[in-house]
Amino acid sequence: MMVLRESIIMKIHYGTALGALFLTVIHIMMRLTQDFHESLEYENVIANYESVGYAILLELLLILISVHGFNGLRVILLEMNQGPTYEKLVTIGCLAGMAALIGYGSRTIIMTNMGML
Amino acid sequence: MERETGAREGLKGWLNPSKIGKFGIERLAWLLMRLTGLGLLAYFIGHIYETSHILDGKAVWDKSLEMTQTTEGHLFLALVIGMCVFHTGNGIRLMIAQMGYGVGKAERPDYPYKPQSINMKGKACIYATLGMAALAMWYGMAVMFA
Repeated sequence: MMVLRESIIMKIHYGTALGALFLTVIHIMMRLTQDFHESLEYENVIANYESVGYAILLELLLILISVHGFNGLRVILLEMNQGPTYEKLVTIGCLAGMAALIGYGSRTIIMTNMGML
Repeated sequence: MERETGAREGLKGWLNPSKIGKFGIERLAWLLMRLTGLGLLAYFIGHIYETSHILDGKAVWDKSLEMTQTTEGHLFLALVIGMCVFHTGNGIRLMIAQMGYGVGKAERPDYPYKPQSINMKGKACIYATLGMAALAMWYGMAVMFA
């Protein structure tokens, strides 16, 4: 298994945090371009997903937050306990959770963007 | 060699209120950073699941949206906003501190061993972050309850 140094992982953690912050601000601003409740209506949300630019933004946001979130979870779990087997299990578990969430979220974005409803 | 267990209190150590009293606002920020991180990850997973209902048609989407359109739903979302702002603000403070800014200069450790890094700049940032989180929650509620 390829092992990244913790210093590199923390740089990725901070980079994903800053990227996610920037994209989250845009994501929230999109809700405020019209009335908040109106912006969440089915037709408006579908229109958001069908815009290729916004779909790419959502995909990037999904990847950045998943990487940041599951790495944060890994760091918390490693703070609480240590050991070679435990650390390997935590890392693999977090990577699996991250991949599953990105896969599930991408399915929603791609299918809605392509009109597969 | 006997394994060291003294520092392994786990969740009990996290939530022990005497530690917050003993170690100050920095300890509270440390705890809130972890709690808000876990809370935001749980919310994010729920958000991804909830938005996937768009694939099931308008009726299912409207039904799942109803959950967040109640007073409790709005209060929950306001809490999420607060967690998000605190986690972001405190995270930026930690990044800046890790780059070496605002942590003071290294000095010879003399009694009473007050660490340079735990200073008023850091404390002020934590209080400001808590204030910003409260303001953002208030603004979020104003938008949602409008």
